[in-house]
Amino acid sequence: MSLHRFKWRNLYLWLVFIVLYAPIIFLIVYSFSKGDTMNNFHGFTWSHYQDLFADSRLIAIFLDTLLIALLSSILATVIGTLGALGINNTTKAITKNTLLSLNNILMVSPDVIIGASFLIFFTALKIPLGFGSVLLSHIAFSIPIVVLMVLPKIQEMSGSLLDAAADLGANNWQLLSQVVVPYIMPGIFSGFFMALTYSLDDFAVTFFVTGNGFSTLSVEIYSRARQGINLEINALSGLMFLMALVLVVGYYFINQYSSRHRHTATRGRRK
Amino acid sequence: MQRKQRLSRNTAYFIPYMLWIVLFVIAPVLLLIYQSFFDINGQLTLANYQTYFSSNTYLMMTLNSVWYAFLITLATLIISYPTAYVLNETKHPQLWLLLIIMPTWINLLLKAYAFIGIFSQAGIANQFLSFIGIGPKQLLFTNFSFIFVAAYIQIPFMVLPIYNSISELNPSYVNASRDLGATNWQTFSKVIFPLTLPGVKAGIQAVFIPSLSLFMLTRLIGGNKVITLGTAIEEHFLTTMNWGMGSTIGVVLIIAMVIIMLLTGGGKRRTRKGLTK
Amino acid sequence: MAVNTQPIVRLNHVYKSYGDHQILKDINLELEAGKFYTLLGPSGCGKTTILRTVAGFTAVTSGDVEFDGAVINDLPANQRQVNTVFQDYALFPHMNVAENVAFGLKLHKVPRNEIDQRVQEALAMVQLADFGDREISEISGGQQQRVAIARALVMRPKVLLLDEPLSALDAKLRKDMQYELRDLQQRLGITFLFVTHDQEEALAMSDEIFVMNAGKILQGGTPVDIYDEPINHFVANFIGESNIIPGKMLKDYQVEFVGKTFECADGGMRPNEAVEVVLRPEDLDIVAADQGKLVVTVDSQLFRGNYFEIVAYDSDHNEWLVHSTNPADEGEPIGLTFDPQDIHVMRLNESEAAFDARLEQYEDD
Repeated sequence: MSLHRFKWRNLYLWLVFIVLYAPIIFLIVYSFSKGDTMNNFHGFTWSHYQDLFADSRLIAIFLDTLLIALLSSILATVIGTLGALGINNTTKAITKNTLLSLNNILMVSPDVIIGASFLIFFTALKIPLGFGSVLLSHIAFSIPIVVLMVLPKIQEMSGSLLDAAADLGANNWQLLSQVVVPYIMPGIFSGFFMALTYSLDDFAVTFFVTGNGFSTLSVEIYSRARQGINLEINALSGLMFLMALVLVVGYYFINQYSSRHRHTATRGRRK
Repeated sequence: MQRKQRLSRNTAYFIPYMLWIVLFVIAPVLLLIYQSFFDINGQLTLANYQTYFSSNTYLMMTLNSVWYAFLITLATLIISYPTAYVLNETKHPQLWLLLIIMPTWINLLLKAYAFIGIFSQAGIANQFLSFIGIGPKQLLFTNFSFIFVAAYIQIPFMVLPIYNSISELNPSYVNASRDLGATNWQTFSKVIFPLTLPGVKAGIQAVFIPSLSLFMLTRLIGGNKVITLGTAIEEHFLTTMNWGMGSTIGVVLIIAMVIIMLLTGGGKRRTRKGLTK
Repeated sequence: MAVNTQPIVRLNHVYKSYGDHQILKDINLELEAGKFYTLLGPSGCGKTTILRTVAGFTAVTSGDVEFDGAVINDLPANQRQVNTVFQDYALFPHMNVAENVAFGLKLHKVPRNEIDQRVQEALAMVQLADFGDREISEISGGQQQRVAIARALVMRPKVLLLDEPLSALDAKLRKDMQYELRDLQQRLGITFLFVTHDQEEALAMSDEIFVMNAGKILQGGTPVDIYDEPINHFVANFIGESNIIPGKMLKDYQVEFVGKTFECADGGMRPNEAVEVVLRPEDLDIVAADQGKLVVTVDSQLFRGNYFEIVAYDSDHNEWLVHSTNPADEGEPIGLTFDPQDIHVMRLNESEAAFDARLEQYEDD
């Protein structure tokens, strides 16, 4: 009986798993197909990858996308971490709750609202649309996730840890640089990685604030996909899948690192 | 307390974050609301709201958008709850969870693009339908394909919060319930489900709100047959350049979002005050 | 006894309140160099707050904290010559054992080789000489406790503050650590200020105990003084087990309770003053009912290993707790005897100063 049930359960999980991955694998498989549709596999070729690397416009967009992602996530991590420290230091509960509510507005708002309102904002301030506006937008929507990743780490740090550091002679700066920041580092890293993926993943907000001259990969894929199938995009998805894998593995190891360095027992699985 | 003083004596470090809140959280929302009171010629007016609430097109579009978001959320929930539940029973739940979440790392546009291929006239889905004797159907640019792809994309966002609440469930409750004579089904419906409801609510929140605004999917997969609030906003801002009307729909979308969050319990640190301000 | 040596720590009329909530009310205490002091009281009595005002984590609302004769109210914690062992140890999880111990020395820019040497000494002192390279997460609670002690001691503080450091350990380990801490204090000759709610721990380790309740110090003195001569109901009840019986002081050395008059060793009170009488359960001896100074009826008894704990009632319905090596018969009357010195008489609401003065006055005659 239990063996029977066990099998059904796993089958379901595998099914979901397959459905989730099938389209991605489908895309990548056809990136190696001769011909130019995703209907029948016509034999193996690297030609779509060659096209991709010869497509200087796409390469430039790819580099721009990376640059935006790196710059925005680094800046968002700095601002968000400082913000989390600040929120943690507010003494009044009402101030803290208000700050947290404000922090989360961009987390729960639909992308179109963020995009549209940022578009109005940039236009009102006469900030030209392009690299600058996209960068600012990406920083803006990445900050709250950094705060949400860092804040629990700060709160988990027991107050006596700070007392102990001061007791042993640490001044404010030493307290921050030698105790607080190393302690919350896993949270900062998680925040950075989340910001990176938010930026690489974003389409809607960028679509609103990008203007005419500047484009990111998402926007480019959208405009090409509207014109139909183009196996160069498949090749691109192959590369982006690799990149995603690298990110996932990186994130996974940072999580491992952080759980290894916990002095209290991690809340292990009860089973 | 002295510890607080020690850290907060110098608040300069907090300035960038506060600037962000003012410039990128508060200002844009206020600007959006402000903009909704202007017509296409820059005249201050309530006309946008009048048009919106007296026009069948807009009201039907809103209803439609909510209806589709509901269907997407329901489909996602039905698939995700058992997934999260089974996930929790496996030997390596963290690994499985990672595998379920990993597709979210793939750009959403690429996944939508994949379905253009899968659902196309001669695509793999139709080949399969032909093979089992149903024959090729128009799949792309239908309501079904829109709901299917949207649900596909949102599943991980529903699984994650539900899994979290299931894994936090103290197994003693389940044992206690069994001990007191409950059947498996009674244990599930009277103990497990109510206790994991917060996760379900969080999942609904995470899926329903974005589903109101998935304009790229309506364009790429839905073939403009489904117009969501998001599609309408994009249309008004980027095509017809009627920002006033677009903002009005935006305000409606914000209100819808607030209602959803109130219905799903608002959550511990979800926003309420900030938005209605 | 006048103290002629300069106290190392002195609290002078210290008050602390958060909003309307008064945590400390007029705290006065003096710590001499080289002694083991304990702040003892139930949780929430303010004992940890006293510790924190000495450490510099909590500012006093009014009054003075003095260290070595100088007022240090405004001196930040990182500049005080005291170090703390925290209740949760507060070891830095991102550093290993040796790095934790070296942390304070590095901040004070002590030369590298001296740091290594002092860290090694400190770890040896707490019997963790070979544990320097371990991660904090890899060592047991008891070992973490020792690292926390080493980390504080390596700074060579003049006063070591210990905030319920043993409360997270199991009973056996706690006993061992009591011996070890006491031994460490005597070897190093520095002042320990120890906070606990465990009266046995306080009695076992301290040179002097301050018993606290509700933000006030009720009584300070050696463990023996406090055990034998508790100042009031609270102290008598909190320290050890007690039978506290209402009585009347007829005159010096003569007290009346349960309708009988007894000879006692206390005096200095008004004639016929209402008092409370303390008799410790272990000072009571069971005899036949007709031979007892008091007759009580046994209600119940529990076997506690090395003695029987007997609960009995007298004719006035006072409860009596008796420790006896022999069992009694439930429901049967028994006689109790005790010596005059075993009777301790407490005045109601007597201040510590008045209590001390009275004690000196009648003990001198």
